[in-house]
Amino acid sequence: MADDTGSYFLADRAFVDRYARDELNRFDADFLSQRGHTFQKTGDLAHTAFLTRWAQRQHIGGGSAYVILIPTLRCDLKCSYCQVSRAPVAAKGFDWDEQTLERILTFLDDLPVDEIQIEFQGGEPFLRLDLLRAVAEYARRRFRRVRFVVCTNLQTLDADILAFLASEDVLISTSLDGPHQVHTRNRTGTSELTQVFHRNLARVLDLIGPDRVSALPTIDMEHPPVPEELISAYEDFGFTSIFLRPVNYQGFARKSHPSARASESWPGYYRDFIDTLIVRNARSGRVMEEFYLAHCLRRILAPGADNHTDLRNPNIPTGENAVIDFDGLIYPSDEARMLARVRQVDLSIGNVADGLDHEKLALLAPSHVNNFDPDCIHCPYQPFCGTDPIDDLSRNGRIDVPRHESWFCQRHLAVFDLAIELLYSGDPAVDFTLCRWLGLETLPDALRPVLS
Amino acid sequence: MIPLRLRSKCDRSIEPFVVRISSGEGPGVDDATLTSEKPGLLSYRAERGDFHIRDVAPAHIEGDVLLVDPQRQIAHRLIRAASQHNTFLITEQCDQLCMMCSQPPKAHHEDMFTHFRAAARLAPPGAQIGLSGGEPLLHKEELFGFIDAALSAREDLSFHILTNGQHFDIGDLPWLRKHRSRLLWGVPIYSDDPAVHDEIVGKAGAFARLSGNLALLGLAGASLELRTVVMKQNAAGLVGLADFISRHLPFATTWAIMQMERIGYGRMNWCRCFFDSSVDFKDLGAAIDLMRARRQSVMLYNFPLCTVPAAFREHAAQSISDWKQKYLPACDTCRMQSRCAGFFEWYREEDGFMEIHPQ
Repeated sequence: MADDTGSYFLADRAFVDRYARDELNRFDADFLSQRGHTFQKTGDLAHTAFLTRWAQRQHIGGGSAYVILIPTLRCDLKCSYCQVSRAPVAAKGFDWDEQTLERILTFLDDLPVDEIQIEFQGGEPFLRLDLLRAVAEYARRRFRRVRFVVCTNLQTLDADILAFLASEDVLISTSLDGPHQVHTRNRTGTSELTQVFHRNLARVLDLIGPDRVSALPTIDMEHPPVPEELISAYEDFGFTSIFLRPVNYQGFARKSHPSARASESWPGYYRDFIDTLIVRNARSGRVMEEFYLAHCLRRILAPGADNHTDLRNPNIPTGENAVIDFDGLIYPSDEARMLARVRQVDLSIGNVADGLDHEKLALLAPSHVNNFDPDCIHCPYQPFCGTDPIDDLSRNGRIDVPRHESWFCQRHLAVFDLAIELLYSGDPAVDFTLCRWLGLETLPDALRPVLS
Repeated sequence: MIPLRLRSKCDRSIEPFVVRISSGEGPGVDDATLTSEKPGLLSYRAERGDFHIRDVAPAHIEGDVLLVDPQRQIAHRLIRAASQHNTFLITEQCDQLCMMCSQPPKAHHEDMFTHFRAAARLAPPGAQIGLSGGEPLLHKEELFGFIDAALSAREDLSFHILTNGQHFDIGDLPWLRKHRSRLLWGVPIYSDDPAVHDEIVGKAGAFARLSGNLALLGLAGASLELRTVVMKQNAAGLVGLADFISRHLPFATTWAIMQMERIGYGRMNWCRCFFDSSVDFKDLGAAIDLMRARRQSVMLYNFPLCTVPAAFREHAAQSISDWKQKYLPACDTCRMQSRCAGFFEWYREEDGFMEIHPQ
């Protein structure tokens, strides 16, 4: 059970019955009052605290921006699950031109923030290092704090790229799909190219250290990697965190991966992976994190864990959290960009020439709030969760399907169920992993209240 | 120990006055300029009258704001320019009698607000001045009037007010809101069990009153520093208190868990109250872990670094005011000394922390 502020506790069926029939006993009432689920009168401590906790749960944003830029759609790989209509390396007309670059810099300049993270995606952004440099040079002058993340396949490293990486404000995000053969099947197509990637990844790690390099696997549920092997592949490179993602049912991935639409096997695979991870951590004493579960756990325990842009509530689209495509069109998210690419629905929220389309933004806003959703209001995980109307559109062609029929809801119910199960498990191996993920010495029992 | 009172010499017929020791550049009407310097005696000229200060070097008091008291032949250093720890003692009266009180209450009150107002006006740029007691809010009208005047005279000033939280009412809400960005309220809470809290502060009903007034500070959006002195009486209840704070006081800016100060009632009750956290950090650690998990700020005040397990040292602050802080002889070789809170001047090794280990 959880209240609207995300204060949760475990109770048995009998309590739920008493609660539903308005037959709470004295013990129930004391429990609820001591833990701040109820209040006596407006303005008393419990009431004021409840208002505060509720407000802290809402993501307001402001102050910093997170903008994804696509300087080119061209790419030198042809991954089986590629989400966007990547273009061949030699193709023309898939890069920013001079004017687009100028307008993008103007768009950045106009953002009402002095902190920004700029993520370069593609295509392969390093094919246009010149554009990356131009943006970086400008942004370093314009913003008080700035970070760049280059999402690269790391198939090519030359002296110029290495020089660009030398700056402390540049981070690398790459894909490592697991053991050699899985990575080759999903991404490179040949063993030689996978070897090149491995060499380059090792070189980059050596050069700028594991703090500035992250990797994540995309899991093809038709051929998922064996969890132990996947973890080993990450450990071999010195990574301490894996962000497990299923193939995204968006863009062009759906053509070659029709099973990604429902992904019924995902929760089972995910749970199996986490079990493996926990046993392995306890055995080795080294700790590997699964980013998303750790993140969801942090969201359960406290407000303010809003650093992951895909899981926030409300998550209203704005110019400060936008994706700018190679042609200057602005989208609220990468997923929205993909829907436009496959011509399902135009979710662009403006373009760099004319600016943001405020009518469109207003239209999109309400569906990015879960507080009033007729299904979400009955869910204990609502304060921790978010929404993804873009994903709903992509899979179902509409945003108003019952929540529990949507992939977003199913996936998150599974993650939050698992997180709560682990939190309450009390198994020393589980507690060990959870403590290390959360940066705690011990897991206080107050984090797992039980009404019994 | 840095002296807060200086011996002075001044014509006894002059009324007490506030003056700033000129730091040389363009002295104003409120500045005193050095006229002669003899061994053990500095002579100053000020608009209100000439005065002399004994046994101090000129550089040590440059920029200080003094209250010269001719009748008593002393000068109070109301503001030391070089220090971050300047506090105005508003009153020595108090309506609580805390077991560990370092500044036991007195019945008599001397109203110093005129001098405080003059001193605040002369404070160094950007100063945060402590307001303490006794219980400052026993003289609420005068206190609020002083704060209004000081904050409007100087836009760069702010105050850190220590109060037992017993004396707010709903009518204060607009005032608290108006000044919320410039006032930090330090309010003690010793337990989430009303009986334990009331026993420690020596006042029946204190917790109930505190709890309503903390709600008021929350509604005002005030900056709130909760302060808990750890003692034998409440150490085992710290995790419960942490849970209470994360649920009922989520608007607190920070929670400071503090070690005892062996002076005043603190000295009298030392053996009955001192909790040796260097020997047993379990409950403290669990309380900090809970606050970390709930992403609320928690600090350790007055804890020597070597008494805190390494995993929790990042929370330890150098909290002891410079004028009453010391290190032990054993600390001379310690690599962490420059980051360590050290000890109170009146700390005694024989009945203090049993586990002191220079690093």
